[in-house]
Amino acid sequence: MMAMRLFVMLSCAGFAWTSSGCREQQLTPDEKSAELGTSPGHELPDVARAVPGSSAAVRDTAVTPGALAGVQAAPVELWTGPGDHKFEVALRTADPSTAMSRRFGRTTLRTSLRTRAADLGQYPCTSCHLGRKIVLNDKRVPDAHQNIKVVHPKQTGATCSTCHLSDNVELLTLKSGERATLDHTYRLCAQCHFAQADAWAGGAHGKRLDGWQGRRVLMGCADCHDPHKPALESRIPFRAPRIERTRNP
Amino acid sequence: MTTDKLPDSAPDGDDRTLLQKRVDRRRALAILLGGAAAGTAAVAACTPRAPMSKESKEAKLLAWREYIKGNYRTMTEEERAETIARLERLAEIKSGVDVTIQGTQAQPGVIFGYAFNISKCQGFRSCIDACINENNLDRKAATNYIRIFEIEDGVVDLDHADATFTHEVPAEGHFYMGTQCFQCADPPCVKVCPVGATWQEPDGITVVDYDWCIGCRYCMAACPYWARRFNWSAPEVPAAEINPNQHYLGNRARKAGVVEKCHFCIHRTRKGQLPACAEACPTGARVFGNLLDPNSEIRWVLANKRVFRLKEDLKTEPRFWYFSD
Repeated sequence: MMAMRLFVMLSCAGFAWTSSGCREQQLTPDEKSAELGTSPGHELPDVARAVPGSSAAVRDTAVTPGALAGVQAAPVELWTGPGDHKFEVALRTADPSTAMSRRFGRTTLRTSLRTRAADLGQYPCTSCHLGRKIVLNDKRVPDAHQNIKVVHPKQTGATCSTCHLSDNVELLTLKSGERATLDHTYRLCAQCHFAQADAWAGGAHGKRLDGWQGRRVLMGCADCHDPHKPALESRIPFRAPRIERTRNP
Repeated sequence: MTTDKLPDSAPDGDDRTLLQKRVDRRRALAILLGGAAAGTAAVAACTPRAPMSKESKEAKLLAWREYIKGNYRTMTEEERAETIARLERLAEIKSGVDVTIQGTQAQPGVIFGYAFNISKCQGFRSCIDACINENNLDRKAATNYIRIFEIEDGVVDLDHADATFTHEVPAEGHFYMGTQCFQCADPPCVKVCPVGATWQEPDGITVVDYDWCIGCRYCMAACPYWARRFNWSAPEVPAAEINPNQHYLGNRARKAGVVEKCHFCIHRTRKGQLPACAEACPTGARVFGNLLDPNSEIRWVLANKRVFRLKEDLKTEPRFWYFSD
């Protein structure tokens, strides 16, 4: 038992280093397109490969317009925004230098422009899932997604493999047989929530980052909605205003 | 007259003696002059010990120059730069905060519009919190530009809406509707201002020159949406919480006796950023953009969603639309 735990820990550490540091560089363009679920001939726009600017510039996004210009983003496939314009979805990244969170009033929500590890402690998935099948809430593993609440799968009758590819849990599986990375969760969600996806592409659903002008980078579905428990949680509102009642309506 | 007899429980005898007791003229004059002489003596005694500091002298001079300046709209570029420099220095002397006051002009070809999704808003009031911090709103009087109304499902009935809810939200069977200044295309508040202290900018934002406002509050009476706020006292913002990113027509320091209102975060939106409320909304219920850009999100919402405006029959043409999914 002890030996097994040690093995899991060591492999986690090793693969976390390999994946965060060298993974992008190791892939050839063909492999990368295959991973994105696109044809090998399809070239990714430059923005998708742009080197992130200094960490300070990224952290100042809330105050400096256009600070997202150097931030990696994933081009949205199959949907176009208003006026048939292409847009992008903020890319999830494991690189800590692009880590950021945005303040929403007094609460801070992490957006996709964050370090992946801050939100998903076990990212990248391959640090544990080495092609082996691991059951959710496995007692043998110290941190086997005990935080995941399977509300949405229970409501819809879905199982893990309805959305996750069982061979490679970092990929999502679509009904068409295509694969999508976790940056392109909207392709998975839109299979049922097509009206929401249309509104999202048009601009009536979700949040736009980096101002109203210029490059349109949106937050993806899973940046606001927990995929396993999508409804926003109720909470106590910010303090009530004092209203001056000077006139009778 | 019944003032001969004082009530037994008069708390402070001296003041009331003069005001309520019948005294003859000679005695009254003596009391008054005595008081005045004592006051003068006190001032004379204090002055040499506490000479006016260099900074407060400078502040007085700056405040005087500010007092005699003109309306922002009639100023030349140099005069605008001068008044901005004076205001920045005054803010530094008063609160020790190094503020930057912009005079950014409207971008050509831009008219701002706002859309609010009433099926998305959950009543968290994050927008109000962000607005207070962004716009240096008075913490003491708890001024808000935004109201979030909780309304029962079925009908838009603001008469029976509650904006002061404190329970956990969203409440079952209710929806939430936010109001603020709608930046009307035909603003009644501008028409009634007797001194021209409020006007509509080329990008559609109705602004107030806080140094030209006389505090008559005609605009507050004229606004059908109750969007304007009056400063009954000088706004108080702790120095640590002052937002140094300011605009002359926006969130710079206000004073007692002037009217203020939402300005679509003019210091942010003229540089391409979103207003603080739209950026803070955790539900994505707020859509902001350029109405003149056919590819903007706001235009998509207006073209593809069922939208309505509040009190449309008044023909004030608000540039703030409500829509639902």
